[in-house]
Amino acid sequence: MIGFYTVLLFILTGAFLVSFTVALSRFLAPTKDYPEKHIPYECGELPQGEAWIQFNNRFYIVALIFLIFDVEVIFMYPWAVVFNDMGLLAFIEMFIFIFILLVGLAYVWVKGDLDWIKPKPRLEHLAKAKGE
Amino acid sequence: MSNLNSIQYFIPELFLTAAILALIIVDLFLKRKQKSIIAYLSAAASLVAGFLAYQQFSLPATSIFQGMLVLDSFAIFFKILAAFSTVIVVFISLDKFRETAEYFILLLIVTLGMFIMPAVNDILMIIIAMEIVGLISYVLAGIHKTDLKSTEAALKYMIYGAVSTGIMAFGFSLIYGLTGHTNLYDIQMTLASGHVNSVAMFIAFMMVLAGLGYKIAMVPFHFWVPDVYEGAPTPVTAFLSVGPKAAGFALFIRFLVTIVAHPSSGAADTFVQNVDIQAPFLIAVLAVLTMTLGNFSALNQKNIKRMLGYSAIAHVGYMVMALVVFNKDAFGAIMFYMIVYLFMNFGAFWILESLSSKLGGEDIEHYKGLGYRDSFTAVSMAVFMFSLTGLPPLAGFIGKVYLFAAVIKQGWLILALLGVLNSVVSLFYYVSVVKAMFLKQDDELAPIQTSLYHKIMVLILVVPTLVLGVYWSPVIEFTTNSIGLFFGR
Repeated sequence: MIGFYTVLLFILTGAFLVSFTVALSRFLAPTKDYPEKHIPYECGELPQGEAWIQFNNRFYIVALIFLIFDVEVIFMYPWAVVFNDMGLLAFIEMFIFIFILLVGLAYVWVKGDLDWIKPKPRLEHLAKAKGE
Repeated sequence: MSNLNSIQYFIPELFLTAAILALIIVDLFLKRKQKSIIAYLSAAASLVAGFLAYQQFSLPATSIFQGMLVLDSFAIFFKILAAFSTVIVVFISLDKFRETAEYFILLLIVTLGMFIMPAVNDILMIIIAMEIVGLISYVLAGIHKTDLKSTEAALKYMIYGAVSTGIMAFGFSLIYGLTGHTNLYDIQMTLASGHVNSVAMFIAFMMVLAGLGYKIAMVPFHFWVPDVYEGAPTPVTAFLSVGPKAAGFALFIRFLVTIVAHPSSGAADTFVQNVDIQAPFLIAVLAVLTMTLGNFSALNQKNIKRMLGYSAIAHVGYMVMALVVFNKDAFGAIMFYMIVYLFMNFGAFWILESLSSKLGGEDIEHYKGLGYRDSFTAVSMAVFMFSLTGLPPLAGFIGKVYLFAAVIKQGWLILALLGVLNSVVSLFYYVSVVKAMFLKQDDELAPIQTSLYHKIMVLILVVPTLVLGVYWSPVIEFTTNSIGLFFGR
């Protein structure tokens, strides 16, 4: 149970630090209001249209592929740290690990999900497109 | 046992992993017409994995990967069951998914999850194993991307699964907070030594029950069942009602004999609760609710798939009923019932799958007069229906006898009585299918021609259903030998 007091202390310290800095800037910073401050920040561009739009779900696929290899790199850090102690075994293990991920990459590559513009749109489920 | 030494006891799982990777690569090189090779290869892979698991049967029970997993005959029994159910499902779905190689590869991944699920010995492994099975099951339920019902089933399944797994994980965090261990054996030791608040333990138990109950479709965590069973493709429904459910029961039993209870004496025959949280009584109430709700909801279903979904809930009720007595008899009875249930349920779903396109639908209405159009299939369907009810000369009866006997032996007479009454209720809706097939003759309809493949599959499933009803001693011997539970780090 003692460990949980550390967590409580951590939470309290965090909450204090954040609220302290926010309060500090509130008191110290000058406040000037002008209309541009009320529009959402879009890297300097003027925002256009609604935020609730439908967008291409291929973004999800790209994000997923990115995530896999992102996590792979995270796993490589602890591996690199213990590499000297474990030697050849760690080397082989990492190759197996990367191989498993490469199979996934090969899969999306062959299935054409890496091309943003697909060469042939597959419309087999749409009866209309099929008939014409 | 250290990680490297453990690998030699992990061969079935390693083989499955290698097979999955190999099949993904092979699939990339195949042309569209050749894709059915993947189906045969995946059936072969899971058959070999089951055989490799069987090879480990006589090994002394031990824990592997530093106490993360165990290797005991109880886990191996469920591994063999999982491999076997995958093989049958591959053949059930061969026709529908001939060109969808991904489907069979996903089935193999679920099998890998079902290999790990009965062998868990650590809270973290429970969650990982359940997620492997769960995540792939969502994909399988929605494998027809353009079918609205299938997609809806997948979405409902996923949302329900995410919430209940989250609640279960929260329950595990409470157990970890109470005991300070993640290893199931360490938790058992700490709980059995006392000093743990029973109210806190009870709340944790309830929360974990949400996750386990969802996996085996127990009331009140059953709401996903009817919609998912109806919406998912029939082979997937058949698979979900047997494979992951068996693995879920293995996990449930493992959870009961470690976190909830410990062996009462040296021999692990009977178990007593670690902390008195009234677990048997709670399970008894849930069992009665499960079977009653399942049976009464099935009464006025018109769609056979949906009816079988509710009947699956009722069957879970019978099996959960046996869990109230924490002893070897009950676990053996559940394992035996799982085998019987595999044959009769797969049989019913196979007939549903192969005939629905010929009959024009899956409603009871469509089965009118089937007895005069294809008597072999109709008689087999009747056998499956009567076996699911639990009528005497069939396997379902023997399975139920063992379940009820285990409960009655420990003095839960009212519970057993409610179970028997429920079986009587279930007779009504099972027989309504039989009645439609035989008593409503429709002269205008022509006889149905079925393929040889269909007949062989029906035979493979109907023969064990008949034989296990009269000669079951080798199987019950096998299940009794399989209840070797390992306790240790």
